[in-house]
Amino acid sequence: MPSRWLFRITALIAATLLAACSGGSGFQEADAPPADETGGETAAGDGGETAGGETGAEGGQTLQLWGAASSPAEDAALQAIVDQYSEETGNTVELVFQPEYDTTLQTAFAGGQPPDVFYVGDLRLPDLAEAGVLAPAEGMIDDPDDFYPSLVEAMSYDGTWYAPPKDFSTLALEYDVAALSEAGIEPPTTWEELAAAAEALTTEDRVGLVLGAEYPRWGAFMFQNGGAVTDEEFTEMTVNSPEVTEAFEYLQGLYEQGYAATATELDAGWPGEAFGQGKAAMTIEGNWMVGFMRDTFPDVEWAAAPLPEGPAGPGTFAFTVGYGVAANAANPDASWDLVNYLVGPEAMLEYTSQFPVMPSRQSIADDWLEANEGLDPFLEGADYAHAFQFVPGFQDAVDTLNDGIQGVAAGNREIDQVLSSTEQAGQGVLGG
Amino acid sequence: MNAVRRRLQTSEAIAGWAFVTPVLIGLVVFLIVPILMALWISFRDWNGFTPPGQSTFVGVDNYRALLLEQGVKRFDFALAIRNNLYYVLGVVPTQTAIAFLLAVVVNQKFLRGKSFFRTAYYFPSITSSIAISLIFIFLFQRTGAINFLLNPILASDNMNWLENANGVFHNLFSVFGVTTPPTFLAENSVMGLTLWQWISGPSVTMYAIMILATWTTLGTLMLVFLAGLQGIPNEVDEATMVDGATAWQRFRHVTLPMMKPTLFFVLTIGLIGTWQVFDQIFAISAGGPQKTTLTPAYLVYREGFRGSSMGTATAVAFILFIIIIVLTLIQRRVVNPDEV
Repeated sequence: MPSRWLFRITALIAATLLAACSGGSGFQEADAPPADETGGETAAGDGGETAGGETGAEGGQTLQLWGAASSPAEDAALQAIVDQYSEETGNTVELVFQPEYDTTLQTAFAGGQPPDVFYVGDLRLPDLAEAGVLAPAEGMIDDPDDFYPSLVEAMSYDGTWYAPPKDFSTLALEYDVAALSEAGIEPPTTWEELAAAAEALTTEDRVGLVLGAEYPRWGAFMFQNGGAVTDEEFTEMTVNSPEVTEAFEYLQGLYEQGYAATATELDAGWPGEAFGQGKAAMTIEGNWMVGFMRDTFPDVEWAAAPLPEGPAGPGTFAFTVGYGVAANAANPDASWDLVNYLVGPEAMLEYTSQFPVMPSRQSIADDWLEANEGLDPFLEGADYAHAFQFVPGFQDAVDTLNDGIQGVAAGNREIDQVLSSTEQAGQGVLGG
Repeated sequence: MNAVRRRLQTSEAIAGWAFVTPVLIGLVVFLIVPILMALWISFRDWNGFTPPGQSTFVGVDNYRALLLEQGVKRFDFALAIRNNLYYVLGVVPTQTAIAFLLAVVVNQKFLRGKSFFRTAYYFPSITSSIAISLIFIFLFQRTGAINFLLNPILASDNMNWLENANGVFHNLFSVFGVTTPPTFLAENSVMGLTLWQWISGPSVTMYAIMILATWTTLGTLMLVFLAGLQGIPNEVDEATMVDGATAWQRFRHVTLPMMKPTLFFVLTIGLIGTWQVFDQIFAISAGGPQKTTLTPAYLVYREGFRGSSMGTATAVAFILFIIIIVLTLIQRRVVNPDEV
């Protein structure tokens, strides 16, 4: 029967088509602002009169610069800086903000036509470096020792420095000033004080602390207790340890007693929103809170304090993004010249002082603080911050850990079981 | 005579090929080549950054990691299959039945405001799935409209829909006092998942997404059924009326058999669509809470673009492809659309 065959073939083609289509289309990321990156804060510099260094390339080159879109104001500020660079050097820089940035960048590399200069997030850097698509930054940037060493390390892989960090964010404790003074308590500085404050600030229609149930938040408590997911060289898993167990037990207790909650439990998209709405008196987020609170909840009086110290001392996360140059860039000299300009002290200060994202150069930290009063707790974090970064392929283990953390916060998973399954998942990647 | 006919046939064949060539080129370039390339990549270790030619051949390692080797990849894949299986079992029958019912209703000759209802039912299908997903996030919030309606009925207190990893079957068992798995279910596992985990049922969050998906696709399927219903000649209906058949008999013995090809089509489309659910997951839950809304299609995205493991991603896609083909063939046996 020909019609039967025709039918079969049609069905086969239809199924093939649909099956092959699954997965890859480019959607706009719809998640809450700053889950695990710098909250879309972007930075560059407005150079003013001088470029960061001497021009290493002759004018007249055309360069493409890709970034992840953030707020219109920030995008416009970067555009202005890039325009200024173009004007000063005679190079033409085309700045493109890509939606669904990582996916677009990846396909551009696979297609062999990457942009000359592009954002590289700390989480993503190992993947790009391992694939060999990044050009080393060594010797290309003026005054490299000025960058915070922890940020340079986050932008390095296997001992090679790749992407000069353009700015960074850290986690701190944000609190509702009125709520704390009503309860008559000072911002907590230790775990005990944090637990006591969370309890004291919990009322009928407010929880003490809204805290995301994910590694980029809970990890800070692991550090504060001397724990970590892996050793520093990423050779073996150290997550299944008494230190991490204790940190998780501490946090689980807060949720269990109702002194802490996740954003969803409070009907908010992310913790910052719940905090702004007054559903929580404290939260642990990064300096992106400044812009968010100013734009969305200008009437809420809040302040930041360093994260409370754990038994093993202070600990926080630093999230950073750098400028990468493609290993096969058509015009490496001009590309590095552009990067050098963008991360130059004058340009960086000009940009970061407009937005609450912190300069990655230590020499301009004080100038930045002058423009951003009260944000020193975020800046202090740079001294003891850890990067949210692992090795290529480790995402599976991070997902397993996040999945477990959600369960621990919800009270339906056992801590030792979560840690041992994360350990197994990680060992599969590290080969330990 | 023969020669003339042959020449005629040849020129017809040339004309035929000439007409289909543009479409054929499109199919080859945008379909056949990418599929073959994906198949090729599924046997390689490709990070997705370098040109694919620089990747290394790894044989069936990608498939083995997903199906045989103990580890996080197999565990996640098994979870994705489990989640999607419940999703398919929940969505396909429901959407097919309701769409058929709606089609029969709006096909009534004496229904007032027919075009209003047809438009209203079809509306969700032409709306962006991301926009609908965002609206559903609002509806399913703890203090959202759904809970507002359900609280008095279920005597519940603001259920947490969108961050609830409890399986609905597990919830059901707990009503009967079964909260810990019997040893038989806890100790035996298939693909790294214990039998107890396999029979969890969809999580509450997945259940909410299933409701969303059913609601969204209803309109399209209703339209297909409507076209099928209108293709049934009036004479057949009238003839049975003359023979004295009741309305139910006419529906059962005339309408239903004649709708069989349409039914098969709707079921196939439904099956393929549900095995590929992606946008709603991407917008609402991103695979969470606790991986209970992870689906193979989402796994493809996660492995390929976040895990830089295109080989695994394409291997998942091909296993998914095989699952869909096999299920479609089985379903074809069962429904048998050729025999009307």
